[in-house]
Amino acid sequence: MIAVATSDLASLLMQVAQVQPVPASSLTPAGWTPAWAFWILSALVVVGAISTIAQRSLISAVMSLVATFFGLAGLYATLSAHFLAAIQVLVYAGAIMVLFVFVIMVLNRDEVERVSDRGLLDKAIGAGALVYLAVRLGEVIASPVGPVSRMSKPAPEFGTVAKIGEYFFTEFLFPFEAISILLIIAVIGAVVVARTVVSRPTTGYEVPNAAGRAGEGGDDHADGDAHGAHGGH
Amino acid sequence: MQLLVQNLLSVGLHHYLILAVVLFGIGTFGVFMRRNALTTLMSIELILNGGNLTLLAFARSHQDMRGQALALLVIAVAAAEAAIGLAIVVGVFRNRHNTNIDELNLLRY
Repeated sequence: MIAVATSDLASLLMQVAQVQPVPASSLTPAGWTPAWAFWILSALVVVGAISTIAQRSLISAVMSLVATFFGLAGLYATLSAHFLAAIQVLVYAGAIMVLFVFVIMVLNRDEVERVSDRGLLDKAIGAGALVYLAVRLGEVIASPVGPVSRMSKPAPEFGTVAKIGEYFFTEFLFPFEAISILLIIAVIGAVVVARTVVSRPTTGYEVPNAAGRAGEGGDDHADGDAHGAHGGH
Repeated sequence: MQLLVQNLLSVGLHHYLILAVVLFGIGTFGVFMRRNALTTLMSIELILNGGNLTLLAFARSHQDMRGQALALLVIAVAAAEAAIGLAIVVGVFRNRHNTNIDELNLLRY
Protein backbone atom coordinates (compact mmCIF):
# COMPACT_ATOMS: atom_id res chain seq x y z
CA MET A 1 0.00 0.00 0.00
CA ILE A 2 2.66 2.42 1.11
CA ALA A 3 4.91 1.29 -1.70
CA VAL A 4 2.15 2.01 -4.20
CA ALA A 5 1.60 5.45 -2.70
CA THR A 6 5.27 6.30 -2.85
CA SER A 7 5.56 5.11 -6.41
CA ASP A 8 2.54 7.24 -7.28
CA LEU A 9 4.18 10.19 -5.57
CA ALA A 10 7.42 9.51 -7.37
CA SER A 11 5.72 9.38 -10.75
CA LEU A 12 3.85 12.56 -9.92
CA LEU A 13 7.12 14.25 -9.02
CA MET A 14 8.65 12.99 -12.23
CA GLN A 15 5.78 14.50 -14.18
CA VAL A 16 6.15 17.82 -12.37
CA ALA A 17 9.88 17.80 -12.98
CA GLN A 18 9.36 17.13 -16.67
CA VAL A 19 7.20 20.22 -17.13
CA GLN A 20 9.37 22.59 -19.04
CA PRO A 21 9.63 26.06 -17.51
CA VAL A 22 8.31 28.85 -19.66
CA PRO A 23 11.26 30.20 -21.63
CA ALA A 24 12.15 33.67 -20.47
CA SER A 25 12.16 34.99 -24.02
CA SER A 26 8.43 34.40 -24.34
CA LEU A 27 7.63 36.47 -21.26
CA THR A 28 8.69 39.76 -22.76
CA PRO A 29 9.70 40.79 -26.24
CA ALA A 30 13.10 41.88 -24.99
CA GLY A 31 13.67 38.58 -23.29
CA TRP A 32 15.42 39.73 -20.14
CA THR A 33 13.22 41.90 -17.98
CA PRO A 34 9.52 42.63 -17.84
CA ALA A 35 8.89 45.98 -19.42
CA TRP A 36 6.12 46.92 -17.02
CA ALA A 37 8.57 46.62 -14.11
CA PHE A 38 10.79 49.21 -15.71
CA TRP A 39 7.91 51.58 -16.39
CA ILE A 40 6.40 51.35 -12.90
CA LEU A 41 9.77 51.73 -11.20
CA SER A 42 10.87 54.60 -13.40
CA ALA A 43 7.56 56.39 -12.79
CA LEU A 44 8.14 55.99 -9.06
CA VAL A 45 11.69 57.29 -9.40
CA VAL A 46 10.76 60.35 -11.47
CA VAL A 47 7.75 61.31 -9.35
CA GLY A 48 9.78 60.81 -6.17
CA ALA A 49 12.67 62.90 -7.47
CA ILE A 50 10.39 65.76 -8.53
CA SER A 51 8.61 65.60 -5.19
CA THR A 52 11.99 65.68 -3.42
CA ILE A 53 12.97 69.03 -4.86
CA ALA A 54 9.43 70.48 -4.82
CA GLN A 55 8.32 69.75 -1.26
CA ARG A 56 8.26 72.62 1.19
CA SER A 57 8.51 70.39 4.24
CA LEU A 58 11.93 68.82 4.59
CA ILE A 59 10.64 65.61 6.14
CA SER A 60 8.31 65.10 3.17
CA ALA A 61 11.25 65.69 0.87
CA VAL A 62 13.29 63.02 2.66
CA MET A 63 10.41 60.56 2.46
CA SER A 64 10.10 61.22 -1.27
CA LEU A 65 13.81 60.61 -1.59
CA VAL A 66 13.44 57.28 0.24
CA ALA A 67 10.73 56.27 -2.24
CA THR A 68 13.04 57.30 -5.08
CA PHE A 69 15.84 55.15 -3.71
CA PHE A 70 13.57 52.13 -3.36
CA GLY A 71 12.53 52.57 -6.97
CA LEU A 72 16.18 52.85 -7.98
CA ALA A 73 16.97 49.66 -6.07
CA GLY A 74 14.28 47.90 -8.09
CA LEU A 75 15.76 49.28 -11.30
CA TYR A 76 19.20 48.02 -10.27
CA ALA A 77 17.65 44.60 -9.75
CA THR A 78 16.21 44.69 -13.28
CA LEU A 79 19.76 45.36 -14.46
CA SER A 80 20.96 42.14 -12.76
CA ALA A 81 22.78 44.17 -10.12
CA HIS A 82 21.19 42.44 -7.14
CA PHE A 83 24.03 43.18 -4.75
CA LEU A 84 23.92 46.86 -5.67
CA ALA A 85 20.14 46.84 -5.14
CA ALA A 86 20.60 45.49 -1.62
CA ILE A 87 23.36 48.00 -0.91
CA GLN A 88 21.18 50.79 -2.25
CA VAL A 89 18.42 49.93 0.21
CA LEU A 90 20.81 49.40 3.11
CA VAL A 91 23.13 52.36 2.65
CA TYR A 92 20.95 54.94 0.96
CA ALA A 93 17.39 54.28 2.12
CA GLY A 94 18.70 53.09 5.48
CA ALA A 95 21.79 54.89 6.69
CA ILE A 96 22.00 58.12 4.72
CA MET A 97 18.31 58.91 4.93
CA VAL A 98 18.25 58.29 8.68
CA LEU A 99 21.16 60.72 8.94
CA PHE A 100 19.14 63.28 6.99
CA VAL A 101 16.11 62.79 9.23
CA PHE A 102 18.29 63.18 12.32
CA VAL A 103 19.76 66.44 11.08
CA ILE A 104 16.34 67.79 10.12
CA MET A 105 15.04 66.92 13.58
CA VAL A 106 18.05 68.65 15.17
CA LEU A 107 17.62 71.78 13.10
CA ASN A 108 13.83 71.62 13.45
CA ARG A 109 13.13 74.31 10.90
CA ASP A 110 11.01 74.21 7.84
CA GLU A 111 11.92 76.27 4.89
CA VAL A 112 10.36 79.70 4.71
CA GLU A 113 11.00 80.49 1.08
CA ARG A 114 11.08 77.69 -1.37
CA VAL A 115 12.84 79.36 -4.25
CA SER A 116 14.87 82.45 -3.63
CA ASP A 117 14.31 85.59 -5.66
CA ARG A 118 18.03 86.25 -5.68
CA GLY A 119 20.67 84.68 -7.86
CA LEU A 120 19.32 85.34 -11.31
CA LEU A 121 22.50 83.92 -12.85
CA ASP A 122 21.88 80.60 -11.12
CA LYS A 123 18.34 80.56 -12.40
CA ALA A 124 19.52 81.32 -15.90
CA ILE A 125 21.98 78.43 -15.68
CA GLY A 126 19.26 76.14 -14.35
CA ALA A 127 16.82 77.13 -17.08
CA GLY A 128 19.54 76.65 -19.68
CA ALA A 129 20.36 73.21 -18.33
CA LEU A 130 16.68 72.31 -18.42
CA VAL A 131 16.30 73.46 -22.02
CA TYR A 132 19.44 71.55 -22.99
CA LEU A 133 18.10 68.47 -21.25
CA ALA A 134 14.77 68.76 -23.07
CA VAL A 135 16.48 69.17 -26.43
CA ARG A 136 18.81 66.22 -25.93
CA LEU A 137 16.00 64.04 -24.63
CA GLY A 138 13.89 64.94 -27.64
CA GLU A 139 16.74 64.00 -29.94
CA VAL A 140 17.25 60.65 -28.24
CA ILE A 141 13.56 59.82 -28.14
CA ALA A 142 13.05 60.83 -31.76
CA SER A 143 16.00 58.79 -32.97
CA PRO A 144 15.16 55.25 -34.04
CA VAL A 145 16.12 52.77 -31.38
CA GLY A 146 17.60 49.87 -33.22
CA PRO A 147 18.35 46.37 -32.03
CA VAL A 148 21.77 47.61 -30.92
CA SER A 149 20.43 48.86 -27.63
CA ARG A 150 18.65 45.63 -26.75
CA MET A 151 20.47 43.79 -24.04
CA SER A 152 21.30 40.14 -24.35
CA LYS A 153 20.90 37.65 -21.56
CA PRO A 154 23.64 38.04 -18.95
CA ALA A 155 26.08 35.34 -18.01
CA PRO A 156 25.01 33.29 -14.98
CA GLU A 157 27.68 34.80 -12.74
CA PHE A 158 26.83 38.37 -13.75
CA GLY A 159 25.92 40.53 -10.75
CA THR A 160 26.91 38.06 -8.06
CA VAL A 161 28.66 39.17 -4.89
CA ALA A 162 31.54 36.78 -5.56
CA LYS A 163 32.34 38.45 -8.88
CA ILE A 164 32.25 41.95 -7.37
CA GLY A 165 34.52 40.78 -4.55
CA GLU A 166 36.89 39.30 -7.08
CA TYR A 167 37.20 42.66 -8.81
CA PHE A 168 37.70 44.45 -5.51
CA PHE A 169 40.59 42.22 -4.54
CA THR A 170 42.32 42.25 -7.91
CA GLU A 171 41.75 45.11 -10.29
CA PHE A 172 40.04 47.52 -7.91
CA LEU A 173 42.32 46.91 -4.95
CA PHE A 174 43.73 50.42 -4.82
CA PRO A 175 40.35 52.21 -5.09
CA PHE A 176 39.01 49.81 -2.49
CA GLU A 177 41.73 50.72 0.00
CA ALA A 178 41.48 54.40 -0.92
CA ILE A 179 37.74 54.39 -0.28
CA SER A 180 38.32 52.92 3.18
CA ILE A 181 40.74 55.75 3.98
CA LEU A 182 38.22 58.23 2.59
CA LEU A 183 35.49 56.83 4.82
CA ILE A 184 37.71 57.09 7.91
CA ILE A 185 38.59 60.68 7.03
CA ALA A 186 34.91 61.46 6.47
CA VAL A 187 33.86 60.01 9.81
CA ILE A 188 36.58 61.85 11.73
CA GLY A 189 35.92 65.04 9.79
CA ALA A 190 32.19 64.85 10.43
CA VAL A 191 32.78 64.41 14.16
CA VAL A 192 35.24 67.31 14.25
CA VAL A 193 33.04 69.66 12.23
CA ALA A 194 29.79 68.87 14.02
CA ARG A 195 31.36 68.76 17.50
CA THR A 196 29.58 71.04 19.89
CA VAL A 197 31.54 74.10 20.98
CA VAL A 198 28.96 75.48 23.41
CA SER A 199 30.74 74.04 26.45
CA ARG A 200 34.08 75.57 25.53
CA PRO A 201 33.99 78.81 27.63
CA THR A 202 33.86 76.91 30.91
CA THR A 203 37.15 75.16 30.17
CA GLY A 204 39.19 78.35 30.22
CA TYR A 205 40.30 78.30 26.60
CA GLU A 206 39.09 81.87 26.28
CA VAL A 207 41.57 83.27 28.75
CA PRO A 208 44.71 83.37 26.59
CA ASN A 209 42.84 85.06 23.77
CA ALA A 210 41.33 87.63 26.12
CA ALA A 211 44.75 88.34 27.62
CA GLY A 212 46.31 88.69 24.19
CA ARG A 213 43.63 91.09 23.07
CA ALA A 214 43.82 93.14 26.25
CA GLY A 215 47.61 93.26 26.27
CA GLU A 216 48.29 94.54 22.79
CA GLY A 217 49.98 97.56 24.34
CA GLY A 218 52.21 95.66 26.76
CA ASP A 219 53.46 92.32 25.51
CA ASP A 220 55.18 91.19 28.68
CA HIS A 221 52.09 91.31 30.82
CA ALA A 222 49.99 89.59 28.18
CA ASP A 223 52.47 86.73 27.93
CA GLY A 224 52.61 86.42 31.66
CA ASP A 225 48.82 86.28 31.88
CA ALA A 226 48.58 83.71 29.14
CA HIS A 227 51.17 81.47 30.76
CA GLY A 228 49.47 81.89 34.08
CA ALA A 229 46.17 80.83 32.58
CA HIS A 230 47.74 77.76 31.03
CA GLY A 231 49.47 76.88 34.25
CA GLY A 232 46.28 77.21 36.19
CA HIS A 233 44.70 74.54 34.06
CA MET B 1 3.54 54.30 -34.00
CA GLN B 2 5.00 50.85 -34.31
CA LEU B 3 8.27 52.28 -33.02
CA LEU B 4 6.49 53.74 -30.00
CA VAL B 5 4.83 50.43 -29.15
CA GLN B 6 8.12 48.65 -29.60
CA ASN B 7 9.81 51.12 -27.27
CA LEU B 8 7.07 50.68 -24.69
CA LEU B 9 7.13 46.91 -24.76
CA SER B 10 10.81 46.17 -24.92
CA VAL B 11 13.16 48.05 -22.65
CA GLY B 12 16.76 48.58 -23.65
CA LEU B 13 19.84 50.55 -22.77
CA HIS B 14 18.35 53.80 -24.08
CA HIS B 15 15.51 53.72 -21.59
CA TYR B 16 17.84 53.48 -18.64
CA LEU B 17 20.08 56.22 -20.00
CA ILE B 18 17.12 58.55 -20.53
CA LEU B 19 15.92 57.87 -17.00
CA ALA B 20 19.43 58.59 -15.68
CA VAL B 21 19.50 61.88 -17.59
CA VAL B 22 16.10 62.82 -16.16
CA LEU B 23 17.34 62.07 -12.63
CA PHE B 24 20.49 64.07 -13.24
CA GLY B 25 18.49 66.97 -14.62
CA ILE B 26 16.07 67.01 -11.69
CA GLY B 27 19.02 66.95 -9.30
CA THR B 28 20.79 69.78 -11.11
CA PHE B 29 17.57 71.77 -11.10
CA GLY B 30 17.26 71.25 -7.36
CA VAL B 31 20.85 72.32 -6.70
CA PHE B 32 20.44 75.52 -8.69
CA MET B 33 16.92 76.51 -7.67
CA ARG B 34 16.53 75.57 -4.04
CA ARG B 35 18.07 77.66 -1.31
CA ASN B 36 18.07 75.22 1.59
CA ALA B 37 21.38 73.47 2.22
CA LEU B 38 19.65 70.19 3.09
CA THR B 39 17.60 70.18 -0.10
CA THR B 40 20.78 70.90 -2.03
CA LEU B 41 22.42 67.86 -0.45
CA MET B 42 19.42 65.71 -1.37
CA SER B 43 19.62 66.96 -4.95
CA ILE B 44 23.29 65.98 -5.03
CA GLU B 45 22.25 62.47 -3.97
CA LEU B 46 19.84 62.42 -6.91
CA ILE B 47 22.65 63.42 -9.26
CA LEU B 48 24.93 60.68 -7.94
CA ASN B 49 22.17 58.12 -8.37
CA GLY B 50 21.69 59.22 -11.95
CA GLY B 51 25.37 58.54 -12.53
CA ASN B 52 25.09 55.19 -10.80
CA LEU B 53 22.16 54.19 -12.98
CA THR B 54 24.25 54.99 -16.06
CA LEU B 55 27.14 52.89 -14.76
CA LEU B 56 24.89 49.91 -14.06
CA ALA B 57 23.05 50.16 -17.38
CA PHE B 58 26.33 50.18 -19.31
CA ALA B 59 27.69 47.38 -17.15
CA ARG B 60 24.63 45.31 -17.99
CA SER B 61 24.81 46.23 -21.65
CA HIS B 62 28.52 45.45 -22.00
CA GLN B 63 28.34 42.43 -19.68
CA ASP B 64 31.16 43.99 -17.68
CA MET B 65 31.06 43.76 -13.89
CA ARG B 66 33.55 46.58 -13.48
CA GLY B 67 30.68 49.05 -13.76
CA GLN B 68 29.03 47.50 -10.73
CA ALA B 69 32.26 47.70 -8.73
CA LEU B 70 32.55 51.36 -9.69
CA ALA B 71 28.93 51.98 -8.67
CA LEU B 72 29.70 50.53 -5.24
CA LEU B 73 32.60 52.96 -4.89
CA VAL B 74 30.27 55.81 -5.90
CA ILE B 75 27.81 54.78 -3.17
CA ALA B 76 30.65 54.85 -0.61
CA VAL B 77 31.71 58.32 -1.78
CA ALA B 78 28.08 59.47 -1.58
CA ALA B 79 27.87 58.21 2.00
CA ALA B 80 31.03 60.13 2.92
CA GLU B 81 29.73 63.22 1.16
CA ALA B 82 26.41 63.04 3.01
CA ALA B 83 28.14 62.66 6.38
CA ILE B 84 30.49 65.61 5.80
CA GLY B 85 27.79 67.76 4.22
CA LEU B 86 25.34 67.21 7.05
CA ALA B 87 28.06 67.90 9.63
CA ILE B 88 28.82 71.18 7.87
CA VAL B 89 25.11 72.05 7.80
CA VAL B 90 24.85 71.40 11.54
CA GLY B 91 27.97 73.45 12.22
CA VAL B 92 26.74 76.34 10.08
CA PHE B 93 23.35 76.22 11.76
CA ARG B 94 25.03 76.44 15.18
CA ASN B 95 26.85 79.60 14.17
CA ARG B 96 24.34 81.34 11.92
CA HIS B 97 20.97 79.83 12.97
CA ASN B 98 20.19 79.51 9.30
CA THR B 99 20.73 77.01 6.52
CA ASN B 100 19.96 79.32 3.64
CA ILE B 101 22.98 79.03 1.36
CA ASP B 102 22.33 82.47 -0.08
CA GLU B 103 23.33 84.03 3.22
CA LEU B 104 26.55 82.10 3.64
CA ASN B 105 28.74 84.71 1.98
CA LEU B 106 31.42 85.23 4.62
CA LEU B 107 34.21 84.11 2.28
CA ARG B 108 32.80 85.84 -0.74
CA TYR B 109 34.36 89.29 -0.62
